[in-house]
Parts: sequence; C-alpha cells; structure tokens
Amino acid sequence: MFVTTSFAQEVTDSLLNKAKDKVKEKLQISGTMGITYEGYGLSRSPSGWTGYQPRRPWHQVRFNFTPTFKFSKNFSLPFNFNFAAIPTNFAGPYAGIKKPSFGQFITNPMNSFGINPKYKWAELQLGTQYLKYSELSTGDIGVFGVGVDLRPKIFRFKFFTGISQQGINYVAGPPIVTGAYKRKNWMAQIGVEKEDSYLFAINIAKGKDVPTSAAPPPLTIRPQEGIVISLVSDLYLEKGFYFKAEGAQSTFTKDLATPLSPNLKSLKPFIEAHTSTITDFAAQAAVGKKGKNLDLGVMVKYLGAGFQTIGYPFLQSDRLDYLLNTRINAWKNKMNIVASLGQRVNNVKNTALRAKQFIGNLNWFTQFSDKFSLNINYNNFGFQTASGLNPFGIKNVSNDLGINPTFTFTGKKIIHLISMSYNYSKYDERDVMTGLTTSNNTHTGLLTYVPTYLEKEISPDFSILYFYNNVPGAKITLATFSAALSMQAAKKKMRLRGQLQYTLGKLNSFSSNNNLIASCNIDFKLTKKLTWATFLTTNYFKYGNEIIPNGANYVETGCRTGFQYRFDTKKQK
Amino acid sequence: MKKISLTAIAIIITTICIAQVKLNFAILNTQPPAQLSEWGNRREVLTLMATGQPGAPGGGQFKIKTEIKTLDGTVIGNADLARTPVFTLNSTGTPTILFANDVMPLEFMVFTGKYKTSLERTGKLPAGNYIICVRPVNIIDYTPLGEEQCKTFYLASTQLPILMKPYNEEVLDAKKAQTAIIFRWSPVVPTQPSPVTYRIQVFEVLPTQSPVQAMRSNQPLLDKEIVAATQFIWQPQLSFLPYDGETKKLPTFVWTIQSLDVNHNPVTQTDGNGEGRSEPLIFFVNPDKNKKPAKEN
Repeated sequence: MFVTTSFAQEVTDSLLNKAKDKVKEKLQISGTMGITYEGYGLSRSPSGWTGYQPRRPWHQVRFNFTPTFKFSKNFSLPFNFNFAAIPTNFAGPYAGIKKPSFGQFITNPMNSFGINPKYKWAELQLGTQYLKYSELSTGDIGVFGVGVDLRPKIFRFKFFTGISQQGINYVAGPPIVTGAYKRKNWMAQIGVEKEDSYLFAINIAKGKDVPTSAAPPPLTIRPQEGIVISLVSDLYLEKGFYFKAEGAQSTFTKDLATPLSPNLKSLKPFIEAHTSTITDFAAQAAVGKKGKNLDLGVMVKYLGAGFQTIGYPFLQSDRLDYLLNTRINAWKNKMNIVASLGQRVNNVKNTALRAKQFIGNLNWFTQFSDKFSLNINYNNFGFQTASGLNPFGIKNVSNDLGINPTFTFTGKKIIHLISMSYNYSKYDERDVMTGLTTSNNTHTGLLTYVPTYLEKEISPDFSILYFYNNVPGAKITLATFSAALSMQAAKKKMRLRGQLQYTLGKLNSFSSNNNLIASCNIDFKLTKKLTWATFLTTNYFKYGNEIIPNGANYVETGCRTGFQYRFDTKKQK
Repeated sequence: MKKISLTAIAIIITTICIAQVKLNFAILNTQPPAQLSEWGNRREVLTLMATGQPGAPGGGQFKIKTEIKTLDGTVIGNADLARTPVFTLNSTGTPTILFANDVMPLEFMVFTGKYKTSLERTGKLPAGNYIICVRPVNIIDYTPLGEEQCKTFYLASTQLPILMKPYNEEVLDAKKAQTAIIFRWSPVVPTQPSPVTYRIQVFEVLPTQSPVQAMRSNQPLLDKEIVAATQFIWQPQLSFLPYDGETKKLPTFVWTIQSLDVNHNPVTQTDGNGEGRSEPLIFFVNPDKNKKPAKEN
C-alpha cells in the first residue's frame, strides 16, 4: 500500500513538474515596468515677484506596467497600465481638477488602464483604449470601457463602449474648474481587410453627454451628442500604386438643452434632432505611387462646415485641402528631395469670408562627397481672406529659407564635423483697417563643431548661434554658446551626457538679459534587465531692465529619475 | 379747420384701438453668434419689451410674427404662427420682457431655400447682413395688433486660427530650438470688434502618450497670452532630452492656440471643442541632428 502510494506520489510529482516546465516553456513575458519621479523647483527674485510662472508639477510620480504574457502561440495577455499620482490637467474636460474621485482618476486622460487578452483572431478590449477606426470617425480620444476586435479570416468586426470623461462640477475658484459633462461613447466597425491589399469598412461612432452629471454645470460648455457614420476603402495595387478614400456623415447636437425640433431630420434610433442639431458631410481621398526612388501622391480633403465628431474633438471643419506630395531619391541616393505643394480653403460655405492658405514646402539634401553635403529648405504659408466689414482683408504670408552646408574631415584619430546653418524667416501681416503691411524678419545663424574621437569613448560638441528678429517697435537679439559632452563609463554600463548653454539676449536698447542652462543625463544599466535613468537640469535667467522690477531673475531646477525593468523571458534562455 | 381736427381725432382713436401692443427692441446685438441656437443661451443677444393695454379685447394676449429678411427685403424665414407661443401683457402695466427663445423659437421657424439648407447643415445662416422684423398679432386670426419693428444685424461664422509654424510634424534642430522657436498662426476670422487674446500652449508628449492625450493631461511648458498678434518667439530654456534609443522617439511636443474674447471667454463656444482651441499640431526636436540622420517616429 505504502509502495503504491509512494509510486503514485512520484508519478504525480513528475507529471506536475513536467507540466510546470511545459508552462514555463510556453509562457513568455515581454515588455516593461517602472517608476519615475519628477521634481521641479522655482525660485524667483526679488521675493514677491510673480512674473514667471511654474511650468511643471512640483512633484510627480509616474508608473508604467506594460508586460505581455504569451501563454501559447495563440493566446496572449498584454497589459497597458500608465498612470500618475497627481493630476496635472490644464486643457480639456479635466482642466483644473485637483482631488478626483475614483471614477475621475480612472478616466483621466493622464491615466491608462488597459488589458487586451487575445486568442487567435479574437481580442477582448478592457479598460482604457485609444482606438482609431478611421480619419473621419474616431481616433483621438481615450475611452474606458469594454469591447471586442474580431478578425476571422478577412472579416473585421469591432465594437467598443465606455466613458471618455466623467462629470466634473464647475468651480468658480480660484482656481477655476471649467467642468465637464459625463460622456458615454459607442463605436463599431464592420468590414473586410487583407493586410497590404485592401480594406472596406463601415464605421459608426457615437457620443452622448449626460446633462445631469455636473452640478453646478459648466458655464461655457454645452451638453452634446453626436454620431458619425463613415465608409472607408483602401486599395494597394502592384508596383506601389495605392488609393484611399473615406466618406462620412455626421449628425451633431451642439446643445442638448435646446428644444426638440420637428423641422430637422432625426437619425432615429441613434439621435433625435434638437434645434441645435446639424448634419453635414466630409470626404477625403488620396491616390499615388510609392517607389524606391520616387513617391508621388495627391490628397484631397473636404470637411463640411457642420461636420463634427466626438472622436476628433479638435477637428476644424469648413475646409477644403488639396496637397501634392513627392519624394525623389537620385544620384545613387546621394540626393534626396521632399516637396509638397497645396492649398487650404477655409470658410468654404461663406464666400464673403472665404480664407485661402497656400502651402509650399521643399527640403533638398545633397551629399556632394564624403566631405561635403548641403541641405536647403524652403517653406511658404500664405493666408488670405476677403475684407468682410473691414476696408481690407487679412493677408499674412510666412516665408522661410534655410541653407545648411556640412563639412567632414577625417583624420587618423578624429573626425571633424563642421555644420553651418543660415535661416531667413519673413512674416508679412496686413492691417485690415489701414492696408499697411508690417514685415517681421528673422535671421538665424548657427555654427556647430562635432569632433568624433575614433579611439576614445567621449564625444563632445560645440555650437554658437546668433538670432535676430526685427519688427517695427521691437528688435530681439540672442547669442547662444553651448557645449555638450557624452561618454560611457563603468564598463559601458553607464552613459553620461552633460550640456552647458549660455544665452545673451537683448530687447531694443534695454540692458542685456542672461540665461544659463546646465543639464546632465545619467543612464545606468544596473543589470541586463534593470536600468536607472536620471535627468537633472537647472535654468538661471536674469532680466535686463526691460521689465520691472529691474534685475528680476529666477532659477528653475528639474529632476527626472526612474527605474525600468524589462521583462524578456525569451532572451534569458 | 374743424374737419382737420375731427380727422386727427379719428386717426388717434383708430391708432389706439389697433395698436394695442407695442414691441420695442431693448437690445439687439448687431453681431450676434452665428449659431442661431446659441441666441437663446445669451440674454445679451436679443431683448424685446412688450407694452400695451391689458384690458383690451383678447385679454392682452398676442403672438409675435417674426420674419428674417435679407437687406433687399426678401423674407428668408418666418415664424409658424400656428405653433408659436402665446404671450400675455402684464396686468400691472409693466413691460413684458421677451428673449431670443420667445421671439425667434427655432423649433417653430420656417426657413426657405439655401438658408434652410445652410441652417440644417451648419446651424448658421450664410455670412451677411440680415433684418429681423417683429410684429404683435392676434392669437386667432393673426391680424396685426401693433406696428412692425425691424433691426439689422450681421452674421459671420467665427473661424479659429490655423496653426502655421512650426508646421505639423516639423523636425526642429535642437541647437536652434533651445534658443528660440517661432510660432505663427492665422488670426480669428472675421476680425472681431475687440482685440482677440491668443493663448499659446505647448505641451510635452511623453513616449506613452498620444498628442491629444498629452494636451489634455500635462502641464504646459508654455502658457502665454498674446493680444492681437499672430507671432510669438519662445525662448524655451529647456535642455531637450537626447534621442531615446529605447522608444525610438524624438522629444515630441504638441501646441495649440486658444482664442479668447475681451471677457476672457472662448471666441466661439459652439464650434468644435467649445474651448476655442485650434486643431493642435505636433513638432519634434532632434537633439542629435548631426549624429542621427532622420527622425524615426
């Protein structure tokens, strides 16, 4: 009996160990986890002077946990947790929030908590997801919720629902909290796709605010509701030809507090029309060819004046863009030209105030020899409108020209790189009342010297910069001297980089201001998987007599230090 | 002489009998919000005062016949009197005060032609000058109870600035960028009655963040208000982190302009995000331009 039991135990242990080994063999973990502390200090003089404001949180701790557990060839479990201890929202729905509730913490855009278990072609999406379905439907906002991404063979089915922002009460302050309404989101995609070949899909994305979710409600934000339906098609043909197109219709209620309107078309059951509901269209198409030495493409984009989506809250509508892009490689890849030419028309609907913007960019790089290369770039942006009620229309033209020759001299122990750069920037603005044009001219000259030692582990660089801006009534001159040194230490486990920068500035005939910046990076590889990265910086600025009190100055200090652990079971073997 | 006096008395009596309700525009903003549905949210846009004899036939009840016309007198929209609300004069004789939602209830307004299409698609009428006319009418047969009052106003949809420089995804040389970065944008269109305050904000985009996420999460490195100018030279006073070999990303920044009116409110609260913020652009700073040939973002 004892022998039988013992034998059975041995067999069980052996089987368990084998199973464990098998699991160990199969389980692969990759990704990273870490913690980073950021500290900031600001000391202003004379005391009581508040002319310079802090621009970072005094303290911040950020956490990241992004491992992917791969249990088998078909089953993986990726985590995406990135979050911070202290809210620092300055723009958008969470602006000004200091003590968030748990729900507000979870859905704050500064925090992400996402888990995406995937089995073969089926992915479950849990938590925070930044999902981009297409250019005109949804893609810019993070939603906390649940959904799926199913890709059996060529078929595509995606669905996600959740909350993109919680209700936040308005606070008159100080500090002011703008407030926000709780927003619920739904999105879905159905289509067919073959990677690098084609995609046809229908997208639908909806968002709706809960008007009772904030008390007191925001003063300047209205509760909204919107839905967009879009049709996307991408086609990739032989020899690099491609065609991409998307058409979309949006129905958007700008204020849910406005009365229901029988005069406007509803899109039931998705949305019921209020007096502030608008329905408009958008479309974009791109056609072109991509090759080894030549890319050529044309892009056209139209956004109707009433086109609005919840998924792209900052999209500026009422415009027509068309752009011609090209990239050319020539002269055995020693010459590279990238150029674009186009126009953007704003206020398309209202011809009386139509605004036209010309866009032109050129970047031309040529490697003439091992010792000499030249880069030339030119940008032009022009903006023009009709006069409207004023005697003259707006006309602003921005021109930038840059010339950048680089010389390289190779010695036995050192390579000398000398780079020069000159930029001329001209900005003309027309006064809409007088018609007079004001020119704003900027000249920038830069000289950089980078010696590369072939037998040493140090690499310094030095640069001098001169900046001059001239506009009627103001002349700004800046001269900067900077030097940097990077090197490796501790048997190449440590990478160090230090930089010093001094800038002498002058505004008109006021006395000069002085700026000194020092910074240091230390990246230390503690083990194969664990690294410790530290960045320290200090910035001293002393004004001339251009502001009151004369001689005002400040010192900013910054520190960012953190540990990162890299999971990699595969490499360990 | 006697005939003239009798005629005058007859005219006065007739006028009193017919003009039982008198409407007066107390306020009409000559440049109201282009979004017509927004008129109801702002009392400063339109205020109408109704006065008259409450004891007159009909019990002092009346409706308002509202018409929107172009400058040449063509009616482009009018109130559907069968559905518009009934108002009653104050029995105390004090004026009845009415606002945009009472005078021009959009749910009962019927617009025609291209104006209807424009309103359905954009919530706005095409830019231009318009006349609003109001007249008190009988609630049964809609016969006039008073004189028509008309006022002119101008509508133009506000276009937020378009960011010009640095253009989207521009890669700046760190050596130049750490001394000065020039920002340029187009002005608010049309030119506003009072100078616009442009609030420029620059946010650092952390390697784990998307640009819009960074904008909505991080403290701005630059947060400056510029009045009536469309260029700003920023001395960042930053040491840009070196190229990140781990994430293969260059230091990335997102910038935007928020356009504010004289009261420090967004110039347009109904378009886009409601914050008056222009579509943000990103730019990269390459600290090792002479060492690394190209961005790898």
